[in-house]
Amino acid sequence: MRLKQAKIATDPVAFEAFYRRHVDAVTRFLARRVDDPHTVADLVAEVFMAVLDSAHTYRPGLGSEIAWLYGVARNTLSAERRRLFKQSRLAVRVSGRRPLDSDDVARLEERIDAEGPARRAFAAMATLPEGERAVLELVVIDQLTVTEAAAALGIRPGTAKVRLHRARRTLQGSPFVMEGTPG
Amino acid sequence: MSFEEHLLMELKTEIAERNQRRRRVGRRLAAGAVVTGLAAAAAIAVPLLTGSETRAYAVTRNADGTIRVEVNEFRDADKLERDLRAMGVAAKVDYVKPGKMCSRDRGEIVDGQKASTWKEWRKSVSYKAARPRGAGVDVDPAYVAKGNTLVLEFTENDDQTSGPEKPRVLWRFSGTVVKGEPKPCVIVDDPEWNDLGGPEAQPPAGS
Repeated sequence: MRLKQAKIATDPVAFEAFYRRHVDAVTRFLARRVDDPHTVADLVAEVFMAVLDSAHTYRPGLGSEIAWLYGVARNTLSAERRRLFKQSRLAVRVSGRRPLDSDDVARLEERIDAEGPARRAFAAMATLPEGERAVLELVVIDQLTVTEAAAALGIRPGTAKVRLHRARRTLQGSPFVMEGTPG
Repeated sequence: MSFEEHLLMELKTEIAERNQRRRRVGRRLAAGAVVTGLAAAAAIAVPLLTGSETRAYAVTRNADGTIRVEVNEFRDADKLERDLRAMGVAAKVDYVKPGKMCSRDRGEIVDGQKASTWKEWRKSVSYKAARPRGAGVDVDPAYVAKGNTLVLEFTENDDQTSGPEKPRVLWRFSGTVVKGEPKPCVIVDDPEWNDLGGPEAQPPAGS
């Protein structure tokens, strides 16, 4: 299994199948967190680039492909956030964005609009400690199971359960935190 | 063409380029290994750990049911893990550069007590599961219970000059049996690297 997973980084056919299976989910995952179409497109590229670098880290025993991929996406995103932070401090102008045509932009904006409620939910979660927020995000907003969320974060399922419970207790009364966001 | 299709094309090009780079590096390493083998054969006649063998390692079954692992080159750790798994041992193999080691919190060591002497260490489950012998390690599946993992760490030795009077030690070894899955290897400096008196002088690192 591990061999097969590493194959997605070396075999273009295996990679294409993997990419087509997950590119939509990854785009939506990012649109729930970032509201600019160009940045979303850049991040999709970075996530799949990171997949090539870290395909060998996937362990089927520790969760589904999508859980692993969300873990990769989270890491990419926080690296992206770190970089944005650094750039804003250094006031460096970024150029050389991924070229998007108007259809691309329209489709991405649609996605981003559709994920609006999720982004509002993030705002409500902003007060939680990082560890709890991470679990709650993946379970409530990205619709992973608790075990999958644990795998994406590299923590034990028991730990994830405890954090989820604490997070929900803290945020009692926010409807989208108690339920799950549809779609 | 949508940006998703465009991106897919870019990524496939990237994969092709990476594959090409990997093949070039592979050829260079193979050439280097042959040179090392020749030089070593000319100098001494003791077991050659970096011989002219093309396989990075050899795994064979001993008559008593234990598994013989001989490492010739520090590569293909993943493949070695798979081969051991196929022979019934869940193992994690890490190769580490001279002066480095994996940080010692890989997991809870089975029958936990810390051996403080080489003699005590020889009685531990970890030692019985993976005994260094000659140019390799004898792995005994009986001591790696189901669900546990044998963590094998090989450190290259940068002192490659010892002659026949003292056995050539081209690597240093640490083997522990941990409960469940081990944590990944986090490379740290080995504080004892320069005190190392030889493989028999003290228990293997990690004991």
